[in-house]
Amino acid sequence: MVNITRRSLLQASGLAAVGLASPLSAPAFLRNAQAQSGPVKLGCLFSSSGTMANLEGRLNHVVRMAADEINAKGGVNGRTIDVLVSDPASDWPLYAQSAKQMLQQEKVSALFGCWTSVSRKTVLPVVEQENGLLYYPLHFEGDENSKNVVYVNSPPASSVLPAVDYLMGEEGVSAKRFFMLGSDYVWPRTINKQLKGYWKSKGIPESAWKEEYVPFGFSNFQTLVNQIRAFADEGGGQPVVVLTVVGNSIPDFMREFANQGILATDIPVLGLDMVEADLEGLDTAKLVGHLNCWAYLQNAKGPANEAFLKNWAANVKAKSVPFSGTVSIDPMVSAYDSVHLWAMAAAKAGSFDVPEVTKAFAGLTFDCPSGYTISMTGENNYVARGVFIGSVNDAQGFDILWQSKDTPKPVPFSPYG
Amino acid sequence: MKLARFALLLAGLLAGGPFLAPAAGAQALDRAGLIGNLCGNAGAMGEAASVLTGLAMSGDDADRAFAAPLARAVIDRKLACDDAGAVLTESGLDAVTRTPRAAAGEARTPVLSLKNRAVYELADAALALRAAPTVTQRAAALKTLERRPALIPEGLLDIAAEAETDAGLKVEIETLAQTAALNAADPAARIRALARIADNPSRRALTQISALTADPAYVANPDFRAAVDSATARVERGIALGDVLATLYNGLSFASILFMAAIGLAIIFGLMGVINLAQGELIMIGAYVTWLVQQGLRIVAPSLLDWYLVLAIPVAFLVTAAIGIALEASLLRHLYKRPLMSLLATWAVSLFLMNLVRVVFGTQNLQFETPFYVTGGVPVIGDFIFTWNRMFAIVFAVVTLALTWGLVRRTPFGLNIRAVTQNREMAACIGIPTRRVDMMAFGLGSGLAGLAGLALSPIYSVNPQMGQNFIIDAFMVVVLGGVGTIAGTVVAALGIGQINVLIEPLWGAVAAKVIVLLMIIAFLQWRPEGLFAVKGRRK
Repeated sequence: MVNITRRSLLQASGLAAVGLASPLSAPAFLRNAQAQSGPVKLGCLFSSSGTMANLEGRLNHVVRMAADEINAKGGVNGRTIDVLVSDPASDWPLYAQSAKQMLQQEKVSALFGCWTSVSRKTVLPVVEQENGLLYYPLHFEGDENSKNVVYVNSPPASSVLPAVDYLMGEEGVSAKRFFMLGSDYVWPRTINKQLKGYWKSKGIPESAWKEEYVPFGFSNFQTLVNQIRAFADEGGGQPVVVLTVVGNSIPDFMREFANQGILATDIPVLGLDMVEADLEGLDTAKLVGHLNCWAYLQNAKGPANEAFLKNWAANVKAKSVPFSGTVSIDPMVSAYDSVHLWAMAAAKAGSFDVPEVTKAFAGLTFDCPSGYTISMTGENNYVARGVFIGSVNDAQGFDILWQSKDTPKPVPFSPYG
Repeated sequence: MKLARFALLLAGLLAGGPFLAPAAGAQALDRAGLIGNLCGNAGAMGEAASVLTGLAMSGDDADRAFAAPLARAVIDRKLACDDAGAVLTESGLDAVTRTPRAAAGEARTPVLSLKNRAVYELADAALALRAAPTVTQRAAALKTLERRPALIPEGLLDIAAEAETDAGLKVEIETLAQTAALNAADPAARIRALARIADNPSRRALTQISALTADPAYVANPDFRAAVDSATARVERGIALGDVLATLYNGLSFASILFMAAIGLAIIFGLMGVINLAQGELIMIGAYVTWLVQQGLRIVAPSLLDWYLVLAIPVAFLVTAAIGIALEASLLRHLYKRPLMSLLATWAVSLFLMNLVRVVFGTQNLQFETPFYVTGGVPVIGDFIFTWNRMFAIVFAVVTLALTWGLVRRTPFGLNIRAVTQNREMAACIGIPTRRVDMMAFGLGSGLAGLAGLALSPIYSVNPQMGQNFIIDAFMVVVLGGVGTIAGTVVAALGIGQINVLIEPLWGAVAAKVIVLLMIIAFLQWRPEGLFAVKGRRK
C-alpha cells in the first residue's frame, strides 16, 4: 500500500513538475527543433580520474561502442548518435555540475552515468529539475524511484537478497553470523540496514551480526581483518563477510584477508561491489571461492555474450582504449544495455523528448549479453534483470555458481529497510 | 590391536556412505558411478566427496591410488565432464579407466559450491595424508586437516599415524589425533585433548573449551572440571597476550608505513620549507619502478624474479631521486622566495606525474609477484598472526631510518644539511654551497619517497592514484613531529600508528581518523612547533 501511494504521489508531483516546467522551457524546445537535422547527443558521467577511474573509465568506451553499433544500423529516428564524455574526477558534486552543463548547454537527450550511489544522489536533483533522463548502470540500494532516472541494474531484492539467501541456504554454507564491512556512505549503510531488517524478519538475533565502516579510499585493513577473525572464532555457526567497500579498498582488503591465512572455506566474503576488474593485480589462488552477485558475469553463456566480448575486444584494439579487452564487468554490460534501451524507447516514441521517451518504456525488451531477455514495465523505471552468483577462480575471474531461472520483477522499495 | 583396527575399518566403511557396499569391502567401489557423481549436481558431488573421504580411511591401496587425484582435480577444475564420463585434463587420462583419451564434444568442468569446496579440500587432504608419496605432501595435508579438526572422520588419524613412516610427522599426526579426541568417550583422552588445545590458545579454542562447561562430565568428574578450568585460564592468558602483541604489531606496521611516507617529506620540508605536494606521486613512481624491475627480471633473469623487491631498491631510489633533482633544478629553485607558488607548482607536478603514469601504464592495479618472504604469516600466540609483508615494511623502515640517520648525523653532507636547516645565511657565509645542498637534499627526500613506494607495493594496490592516499598522512606526521627532525618523524609515526590501531576496534575506522586529527589539532594548539622543535633561528 505504501508503495502505491508513494508512487502515485511521485507521478502526481512529476506531472505537476512537467506542467510547470513546460512553458518555461519553451525556448529550449524551439532550439531543439532547429537542431533536428544534426546528430542527437548523449552524455556520459563517468570519471576518468580519481579513485573510481579504473572502474568508471571503461564505461565511457562502452557507451561509445553501443552508439557506434546503433549508428552503423542507421541511427535512431533517422539521426546518428553523438556521445559526449565528461570527467567528474571521482568528485561527487562535480557529477551534478557536469550533468547540469550537459543538459543545459549541450542539450543531451539522455545521460549515462554514475557508479557510486552518492554521485547518483547529487545528480538526481539536477535531472529532475532539468527534466533530463539518467541511465544508471549499477546495482544499488533501491528505495528510490524518480521518473527521470532509469535504474538499469538491480535493487537489493533481486541481487543482494538472493545471494544472502544462497549463503544462508543448505547449498551455500548455512551461514549463521554476518560481519558487514563497508565504505562509509549511503549505499553500504542502506544495504546493511536492509540486510539487518531481513535477518530480523528471519528471526536471527542481533548478536549474530556486526557492522563496521571505513572511510573512502581506506587501505590499512589489518586491524579489521583481526576483528573479523575474532568475530568468526566466537562460535555460533558459520560466519560470512558481507563486503560493501568500494574502489581500491576491495583489492586491499582481499589481499590482507588472504595474507592472514583465511580461506573462502573458513570465512567466505560476499563482495557486493567486487567485479573482475578488482581482481586485476591480485594473486587469486588464495581467494578462490569468495563470492559476488551481479546481473552479469563475464562467464555467462550464450551468443549475446560471445558477440559482446568479441565487439569489446575489437573495440579496445581498434580505438586503443586504455582498458583490458579481455575483461568485461557487469556495469559495462549494463551501460551497453542502457544505450540500446534508450534507442529502442526513442525509436518507439518517434521522439527524443524525455516525456515521450519515458512513456515508451513499457514493454521494452532487449537481449542482454547476460543471456537473459531484460524488460521494462510501465510501473516504474526499473529494468528486470537476471541474477548471478559468482565464485572467484584462480584466473582472476568469476565462475558462475548459481543463476536465476528468469528475470525476477524488480522491487524498488525494500520492505526491510 | 588387530581387532580394533578391524572395527575402525568397519566403522569407516559404514561412514563411507551408500556408494560403498557395506558388507563386501572396498573392492566393490563403483568407479564409474563415482565419476558420474563428480560430474553431477551439488548434492551428488557432496556424496562423491564423502565416498572419497571414506576411501582415505578404509579402501584398499588400489582404490586409494585411483581416488587420490580426483578431489584435487575437481578443486582445480581439471576434470572435464563429457558424455562418455570424464577426463583428467592435466594428465589427459580418462577418469575411470585411466587410459589416454581426449574430452569428447562439449566438455564442462563442474564448479564447486562453497559448501562442497570445504568437503573436497578435506577429502583431498585425507587422501593425500594416506597416499601421497612424499613427506612434505603428507605434512601439507595434515596442515589442511588441522584447520577443521571437527570434520576429520574419526579414526582416520589413528590409521594414518600407524602407517606413517616418517617419525616426526607421525608424532604430529598423533598430536592432532589427541586434539581431535576432545569429544571422545574416554575422560582421560578428553583431558589430554584439553591440554593439547590449550597449547595453542586462540578464540576458537576458547569457544570450544568453554562449551564444555555445559557437558555432563564437567559436573560429574572433578578431574575433568579442573582440566577444563585450567585450560580456559591458559587459553585466556594466551589470547590476552596475543591481543597485546597484535595491537603493538599492527601499530608498528602502520607506523612503519607512515614513517616511510613521511621521512622524505620531513627532509624536504625541514630543509627548504617547501611543501612538496608531489611527494605522494614520487611514492607512486617508486612503486612503478619496482614493477618495471620485476618485469625486466622476468625477461632477463627469471631465476632472480623472487628477489625483485631487493634488487629494485637502488633503482627505485635513484630514479625518484633523479626526478626530484630535476624538479628542484628546473622548477622549485625559482620559487624559494614564494612558498605559495612552490606549493601550487608541486601540486601541478603531482597532477602531471599522475596523469603521465595513467596515460603510459593505464589506470588498472599493477600485478606484483608475491615472493615467499612477503607471503602469508605465522600464528604466534592467541589470535596474533605475524604477517611477513608487514614485517618486510617494518624492517625496511628500520633500515631506512638507520641509514638516513647515519647520513644526516655522521657524514659531511649531513652536516651541511643540518647547517643549512638551522641557518641558511650563516651556512652560506662559511662557504657551504647551499644551492647544491638544496638540490641534493631534495634528491634524498625524493629517493626516500621512491623507497616508500617499494616498501608499500606488497601491502597496497599500486595504481596512479595511490600517492594521494599518503600525502595527507605524511603531512600529519611531519607537522606533528616537528618540522625537519628525524626523531620527531619517528615518534609521530609511532604515536599516530598506535593510537589509530587502539581506537579502530573501539569506535571504528572513520572515528579513528577523526579522533586522531582532533588530537593532532589540540596538540598543535599547545605546541605549534610539534614534538621536537629544531633549535636555532627560523625565518
